[in-house]
Amino acid sequence: MFGPPVALISPAGLPIERGKIHEFACAIYDDDPLYHDETAAKAAGLPSVVAPTTYTSTQAFFSDPMAEMSELGDLELNMMYVLHGGQEYEFERPIFAGEVLTSHKGEMKTYTKQGRRGGLMKFAEITSNFTDEKGEIVMRLKSILIQTAGVVEK
Amino acid sequence: MSESIFDSIKTGDEYEITHNNFTRTDFVKYAGASGDFNPIHHDESFAKMSGNETVFGEGMLTAGMLSVVPSKWFGATSIKKFGVRFKSRLWPGDNVVFKGVVTNVYEEAGVPHVDMDLTATSQKDEVLISGSATCRPWTP
Repeated sequence: MFGPPVALISPAGLPIERGKIHEFACAIYDDDPLYHDETAAKAAGLPSVVAPTTYTSTQAFFSDPMAEMSELGDLELNMMYVLHGGQEYEFERPIFAGEVLTSHKGEMKTYTKQGRRGGLMKFAEITSNFTDEKGEIVMRLKSILIQTAGVVEK
Repeated sequence: MSESIFDSIKTGDEYEITHNNFTRTDFVKYAGASGDFNPIHHDESFAKMSGNETVFGEGMLTAGMLSVVPSKWFGATSIKKFGVRFKSRLWPGDNVVFKGVVTNVYEEAGVPHVDMDLTATSQKDEVLISGSATCRPWTP
């Protein structure tokens, strides 16, 4: 007998893995050896292969969905009407395989704007800071969520 | 990943990569790689039940492929900032041009920096994603 479905939740930290980077880079059609080939990365003076720019977004899908939902609730957003509006990354340095990053919830803010088709749209910006094992910030990630006035058409 | 690209780059310079005929397999590959298993991107019956003609690509797939423009152009370790806004959806069969245009070249603390605007545009002339990036040489 198999057990119940196991959720893809990363328990603590985000281990940056070489195989996962290879798979991710393949999925976005990037053949840069610095993503795929440890030898090439080391020859370039890097500790290991580099994580592609948007790689850490994978972390969002391995975090606890219930916690994420309650966070949206705290922001008084209704999941039914929420769209992913944008994503912003700011790097202090590249991220490498072999590191373990920890994401910390940063600033959250909400604001409203008049939509082009009439209704009031609510925006939420959620910031996460990713730190390395020394506790230094390596990357800041901002997710922009948009709640439309009515049913999402797009 | 030669850093000399920063010596010759100027405002208005362009770089583009085209990807033709996106497939459902592309969406599934990205789902597996990223962990985004929202069925709207891979389950035809679910997508139709939600009022869509068929499955459509993850916004972060298009964003990830757009990020290839600055990293191929200036090097995988050169990315300082990368940001995107989602505009429209990616459908199976779409041909997409991923493009960067340099908007500013300057120095910060003696280090050359390049700002660029980014777009992913489909064959229907529809902008799927717009964005921007800043690159600078980085050494360990």
